Amino acid sequence: MSRRGTGGSTLAGRGLRKSYGDFEAVKGVDFEVFPGECFGFLGPNGAGKTSTMKMIYAAAVPTGGELSVVGLDVTRHDREVKRRIGVVPQENNLDEGLKVRENLLVYGRYFDLPRKLVLQRADELLEFVQLTEKAEAKVEALSGGMKRRLLIARALINDPDLVVLDEPTTGLDPQARHLVWDKLRELAREGKTLILTTHYMEEAARLCDRLVIMEGGDIIARGSPAELVREHVSPQVLEFRSDPVSLAALRLIVQEAADGVEEGGSVEALLAFTRDAHGVIELVRESGIKVENTVQREAGLEDVFMRLTGRRLAD
Amino acid sequence: MGGGIKIPSPRGAFRVWQRNLTIFKKYWKSIMFPNFVEPLLYLGALGLGLGTFIQQGGINGQDYVAFIAPGLLASNAMFAASFESTFDTFVKLRFDKVYDAIITTPVNAEDVVAGEYLWAGTRSALYGTAFLLVLVALGLVSSPWAVLIPPALLFIGIMFSVLGTLFTSLIHQIDYFSYYFTLVITPLFLVSGIFFPVDDFPAPVPQVAWFTPLYHAVNVCRGLASGPSPAVLVDVAWILVFTGVLALVPIQIMRRRLVS
Repeated sequence: MSRRGTGGSTLAGRGLRKSYGDFEAVKGVDFEVFPGECFGFLGPNGAGKTSTMKMIYAAAVPTGGELSVVGLDVTRHDREVKRRIGVVPQENNLDEGLKVRENLLVYGRYFDLPRKLVLQRADELLEFVQLTEKAEAKVEALSGGMKRRLLIARALINDPDLVVLDEPTTGLDPQARHLVWDKLRELAREGKTLILTTHYMEEAARLCDRLVIMEGGDIIARGSPAELVREHVSPQVLEFRSDPVSLAALRLIVQEAADGVEEGGSVEALLAFTRDAHGVIELVRESGIKVENTVQREAGLEDVFMRLTGRRLAD
Repeated sequence: MGGGIKIPSPRGAFRVWQRNLTIFKKYWKSIMFPNFVEPLLYLGALGLGLGTFIQQGGINGQDYVAFIAPGLLASNAMFAASFESTFDTFVKLRFDKVYDAIITTPVNAEDVVAGEYLWAGTRSALYGTAFLLVLVALGLVSSPWAVLIPPALLFIGIMFSVLGTLFTSLIHQIDYFSYYFTLVITPLFLVSGIFFPVDDFPAPVPQVAWFTPLYHAVNVCRGLASGPSPAVLVDVAWILVFTGVLALVPIQIMRRRLVS
């Protein structure tokens, strides 16, 4: 699944910590990303994902531990690291005083790239993110999805060895999100090393070769999406919806047959993880307990998170 | 990173300066106009209006208009650099997140601040030069030393940019700038010897004035406009020392705001 090269890792954190005053945002995490991988940091808001990203692109100084990016210690070689990575921030920070294409040209100057090269790359990148027609538009005239694509183009102007994307599709509508996913998959196919944070299960499952799940500043699970599902949950999930009293009764029945049972987060539902969905459904039917709605589906990363933390990933 | 004093890289500072120039070139007419007109208003209203009531002989043998004109060059540089380093910098820092974008490139936070100093100085020199040409046309500047006024305005602008950036680095709400302008900039404007010579006042007025930046900026501009005495070198040295000593302080504070 992963495309590990023979060389060293592109990114490695060991015992990495970050505190803001008394608050420990990242509590000593280890991770390693290899060339050509798409690696995800998955978790709810406040899990420590953004703090980790900021340490990677030197916008936050680690409180402890080691962090090597493109083979260099970020703390000691911040400029050199930043020269070789591209950053797509969570919050739009395009230069509003400049037009779309100018944003790329001015950004290229920060890397001391030759003017001719920047001009050529800017056009190629606008083409890549499908903004060629908007080249002379003002940034404020762009939609949210277009702005995000321009941020991605901007992050590629220096042909980086590693692209860091902090919640690349948060706040986008489904169409815009799919377009961003397409672009990221294209980059992955070209062999670019990508790391991204997300709180969308679907995004992580579609894009990431491997990922870690973070919660409260810790990494609570790691692996490929398939591995995580295999290790932490049974392959099938049944969701029963009903009133609280029926659900309580249902729980007793289902507990016997299923591998695991969880409360359904905010909705009144019972989740059963099983290898034999059919058998469980049969059992419920025989019990005669009132069930308003039953959904059967395959287990996913959301269920892994649910199993590990007892709650859903906040959206 | 981490501890230690951060020294900006000239290359990074230049890139930030260049970014501001790119934007200035698009909007210079609309940006420059008010800043250019304001000193003309003072010159007209006070120089001609108030000047009429000032007795024959003017101040130190100069017409009142000719007396205040070079001082207005200095205060104009102060205002240009102060707006740039307060409102403009704050907007880039807090609202537009321009600096957050720049510091993900090889340009560091310390370079950003240094680049802004240089840009504020450049903007001061540009405006001042336009105003200077008007003064020359009006016959209010006589000495050939006046060719040194634009570079002097560059340094005066950098000095006030350092001061303004220091204030900006400490505040978290844009409303506080009215304190800075009301309590720092306006008093400096009024008592730094632009409209009346402070040196003739009894102690401690001249002594207090000596410790304020605009006083020296006015002395330098006035000296260069009418033929300087060697005493101007003291004012130049004051400006350079004040700027040099203070410049690293806002850089460290701003860095801590941009890099957590």
